[in-house]
Amino acid sequence: MRYWLMILLLATARSAAAELSVFACEPEWAALARELGGTRVEVFSATTALQDPHRIEARPSLIARARRADLLVCSGAELEAGWLPMLLRQAGNDRILPGRPGHFEAAMAVERLEIPEKLDRSQGDVHAAGNPHVHLDPRRLLTIAGVLSERLMTLDPAGSEMYRRQWGEFEGRWQQALSDWEARAQPLRGVRVVVQHRAWAYLFDWLGLEEAGALEPKPGLPTSPTQLARLQEELAAHPARLIIHAAYLNPRPARWLADRTGLPVVALPFTVGGSEGTEDLFGLFEVTLTRLLQQ
Amino acid sequence: MTLNALDISILGPAFLAGLVVLSTHVPLGREVLARGIIFLDLAVAQFAALGLIVADTWGGEAGAWSEQLIAAGAALGGALVLQMSERRWPAQQEALIGSAFVVTSSLGILLLAHNPHGGEELKSLLAGQILWVTPQQIGYTGALSALLIALGVWRGFGGRLFYPIFALAVTASVQLVGVYLVFASLILPALATRNRPNGLAFALLVGTLGYAVGLAAAALYDLPAGPAAVCGLAACAVVTARLRRA
Repeated sequence: MRYWLMILLLATARSAAAELSVFACEPEWAALARELGGTRVEVFSATTALQDPHRIEARPSLIARARRADLLVCSGAELEAGWLPMLLRQAGNDRILPGRPGHFEAAMAVERLEIPEKLDRSQGDVHAAGNPHVHLDPRRLLTIAGVLSERLMTLDPAGSEMYRRQWGEFEGRWQQALSDWEARAQPLRGVRVVVQHRAWAYLFDWLGLEEAGALEPKPGLPTSPTQLARLQEELAAHPARLIIHAAYLNPRPARWLADRTGLPVVALPFTVGGSEGTEDLFGLFEVTLTRLLQQ
Repeated sequence: MTLNALDISILGPAFLAGLVVLSTHVPLGREVLARGIIFLDLAVAQFAALGLIVADTWGGEAGAWSEQLIAAGAALGGALVLQMSERRWPAQQEALIGSAFVVTSSLGILLLAHNPHGGEELKSLLAGQILWVTPQQIGYTGALSALLIALGVWRGFGGRLFYPIFALAVTASVQLVGVYLVFASLILPALATRNRPNGLAFALLVGTLGYAVGLAAAALYDLPAGPAAVCGLAACAVVTARLRRA
């Protein structure tokens, strides 16, 4: 009995300290909310770095968290289309419904890549609003951070001063890190890279990397023999320097191609928590860059 | 442990969906055990899924109702074929059901090879997520279940109507709770209470307890609800079976 009371007390104590309850769909947005909200926000991430954010298993706690949330921060651009609408319906929380200030879609705050000219179901896991994995470009991430910070001030005006301070500090550190990363990343310009899933458009856009081909014939489809043959032919004509894959995907297709081509395979964290040293957004780009430069 | 997920408004609909599934699957499961055709539901669910994929590949966009009709039609067709084979080759029935399962699954994958969105549909048909059920879904499936139970009580679950009733019940329940839970609801309560007097009532009780335990565990330990309910059913079935021996 005393044990239960303690848990209850702890739970209430924690929510009393935080003013804003944030529900993040992916770990990168949880990390950003923590940077910008400091001690005024309590953050929950629906997925971990080792889960595919397109798909998610329904757990009761997800509904409970969504029900209490004041702010929902997701990638948007249909990335979570497979589960977020159901979750929002089940949670019945008006504050975080689309169109409300408590509903924040990060991808909508920036210019998106790969917006299809013609939407065709045969094209694979494509999103009408463009590629949703916007967090992999640190310049876009800073834009998103600015918009998110303003949203925090709208939702919790009493904390405006603190949010402004957090934003100022984050922006300063980020700009500094950005110029350091960009200086170090110069040798990566024009390097040709084979990807497993087409989720890296924004990282490539930032670093000037070139996509030499993809192991998945269409986004979200398993690798087929035809695709592998096509890829080998393509690589013979236009060699690539390395193969990358996200930590959350099965590395076997990448290793298979590496065995045949002798190209090095680089596992990138993809998001916060995807590998050691990526506890925050700074770490995410630091590790990504270090691993790319090692090859 | 998280206590705030132990909320009746979150778990209630899922539990209700479980009860609806149990209402048809426990009597059907006893029949399945008696006939020794354990994997029938997997095969029938695959027939339903294949029907949807075919409709999706060649028919373009389908509405919710026509989709249901196609899935039910395909499941019924498959069930009729299996009913025929049971009459003709009773000794090979289990092997034929197993083969029907892998062939329909593979056909589905082949048809979907160029359509990943169909893959999502297939997955939602096969692995429906019990927490996302809506009141409408429970209402429709509940009405269908009442109809099937009435039919079963009137003409007997074991007679000629067994395959058609089974096909319709599985097509509906698979979309509600997913294929693993359908299998568990069908087999585990019936298995734990076979040869017991009042077996049907006991089996329903075991199933109800199983869902309750599994969903509560999912809420307390932050686990996916479907697999947790499967394990809850298994735990209750094992306890019941042991009690009988003691």
